[in-house]
Amino acid sequence: MKIGYFCTFTPREIIRAAGFSPIRIFPDPSKASLSTAFIQSYSCSQARGCLDKILNKEIKLDAAVFVRTCDTMIKLADIWEFCTEMKTYSIEFPTKINKSTESFYFTELKDFIRVLERWGGEITLKSLKESINLYMKLEHKLRKLFSDGADYEALMRVEKLDVEKAVEYLEKRIGKIDGDDGKRVLITGSVCPFPELFKTIEKVGFKIKDDTCTGTRSFLFSYPRMDIRSINDGIMYIVRKYYSKAPCPTKHYENDLRFRYLLEMSKDCEGVIFLLLKFCESHFFDYPQLKEILEKNGKKTLLIELEFPIASIEQIRTRIEAFYEMLQ
Amino acid sequence: MTLRKLQVTKRMKQIMAGYYLMGHQAEDVAWVTSGAPVEILYSMDVYPAYPENHGALIGATKMGSHFSEFAERRGYSRDLCSYARSDLGCIFANRSPIGGLPKPKFLFACNNICNTVVKWYEVVSKIFKVPVFVLDVPFVRKDLKESYINYVEDQIYEFIQFTEKITQKKFSDENFRKTLKKSLKAVRLYSEILKMGKHKPSPITCFDAFINMAPIVCLRGTDYAISFYKEMRDEVLNRIKNNEAAVEDEKLRLLWDNIPIWYRLGWLADFFASRNVCLVADTYTNAWTSFLTRRKDVRGLAEIYTVIYLNIGIERMAEFINKLSEEYDADGIVMHSNRSCKRYSFGQYEIQKMIKIPSVVIDADMTDQRSFSEAQVETRLEAFLEMLT
Repeated sequence: MKIGYFCTFTPREIIRAAGFSPIRIFPDPSKASLSTAFIQSYSCSQARGCLDKILNKEIKLDAAVFVRTCDTMIKLADIWEFCTEMKTYSIEFPTKINKSTESFYFTELKDFIRVLERWGGEITLKSLKESINLYMKLEHKLRKLFSDGADYEALMRVEKLDVEKAVEYLEKRIGKIDGDDGKRVLITGSVCPFPELFKTIEKVGFKIKDDTCTGTRSFLFSYPRMDIRSINDGIMYIVRKYYSKAPCPTKHYENDLRFRYLLEMSKDCEGVIFLLLKFCESHFFDYPQLKEILEKNGKKTLLIELEFPIASIEQIRTRIEAFYEMLQ
Repeated sequence: MTLRKLQVTKRMKQIMAGYYLMGHQAEDVAWVTSGAPVEILYSMDVYPAYPENHGALIGATKMGSHFSEFAERRGYSRDLCSYARSDLGCIFANRSPIGGLPKPKFLFACNNICNTVVKWYEVVSKIFKVPVFVLDVPFVRKDLKESYINYVEDQIYEFIQFTEKITQKKFSDENFRKTLKKSLKAVRLYSEILKMGKHKPSPITCFDAFINMAPIVCLRGTDYAISFYKEMRDEVLNRIKNNEAAVEDEKLRLLWDNIPIWYRLGWLADFFASRNVCLVADTYTNAWTSFLTRRKDVRGLAEIYTVIYLNIGIERMAEFINKLSEEYDADGIVMHSNRSCKRYSFGQYEIQKMIKIPSVVIDADMTDQRSFSEAQVETRLEAFLEMLT
């Protein structure tokens, strides 16, 4: 059974351990807009685009798993269940990321496992450990891949493949892309499943350091040090692993973690490009204060507001070129 | 004029003026979201200021766009919630229709109404350099899980400790029970008033409920809310006794969905009244009538604040609208598709298909009048009314 997911907080290890294939859903560059009959036009094009993909029957999936993030995704889960024939489930990932909310998320994941069992899956200690190890292997490889230069094409492909095949694919891919030098720029933002946009940025002369939802935020974790001797241990491992994921603006962290993280990330970059999806409240609320802090720390910034499909890549190219010149 | 206005609204304005004044004299001020368990704060003698209520007031005074622009100039996108934009705008402009909200000592954001408030309060926390406590409430898509209530209950206890530490005031169980009792009493009275809309002809419209909702939001847990709603109840009851209708010659009875279009309340009220249409109830003010529990403890509080209207799945929302339409014998529903409230608005198209009464969607924004097209709304409403008659 193929299970679609949207968010990088989705515990893919559990889905795979149950015997299912987790496949990430991205909007396609097509212009079909069947989704407007189901959700308002002031929803982001990630939500609309993913729904379009299913309504247009561009992808065939048996189920969809949502993870609580923003209001749009909370409501999209409801709409999804209503307008597709897929099984739909939503995991209540806490908004507040700290030690005291871990046990609640643990309970949520136990409930999720019961749902997967109802869908015909079965999780054993062996399958869970194997899945945890495979994903760790995949994430290490992605880390390596992105250390040479951001390779969005490979990442997009990997998220649509079974994890074993993805690891094999990356083994061949690593070292194949050129790590050209250029002005280092940090790109921070929402999802952007269109690698050609990043290629445009590179062609202008930038070397990309990534903090996007379709980039490093999908594979940068700290791995908890714990022995997994039972399924419960495995679930707690997953709770802690996802709590340590590269920070996302839909979550509330202690001590301003996300801003500090991005300041640190930007240190070896000459500028920062905000690549934000129109109507994305989580990112746009952070933007003015984050921009201010980065600029106080000597970084020049540029905001690019996106809607899918990207209407004019040429217009964006001109803005990137101007930004590049500004950094000279 | 065919719309009868309530006298008690004058009293509400006095009470709210007193409430705002109180804030500037209070020792401990917290900024609170509208769906947060304020009873804890009142019981600990902490003054709750409501940026959302402030936003509604800015909207009602038709200054939403004006103040939003102050925030937009600082880089806040026009697509963000207009309550947030206009409130932030007032901070940046250093003024507002009521002279601004008192400076907070801490912030209390409960995401049972939306995730927007978490981000909005993070911004405010950085501006004032004050801590924010997020009460994280799981979304109740289907059935309410025991684990959800446990999670919320644990956090409320954490919040009590957080407040004790900041204010140096001790939480008292006795004070809390007294406050909760007062809160429940006000909620019961408010609920009693709203239910009078079931009477034919209805003695009130949802516009009366909107205009007079500030005390249930801001003063829930105090004697002020109780005395005000007693007065309001008596006035509405008198109307029933004298067979006085809110709308003369009531011909159609409709429901309203979503937050009001604050800057067009008068226009909408007149539009409907002049066509002998009474908006007898709404999903928005009814959200506060669900703040009822038999338990008089923190767990009871956790329960009621977890299952509020904005925190339930669309199937349950549709059930609620069906229940309202039956109880109030409504002929249809007007749904405000509110650009500023994704949590409330997304799913309306599906709800339209699930409910038993005819519906119409009008596009607007609760506070920002730039997103309102009079001609478009008028045409849509006219066509809808024509279809119903």
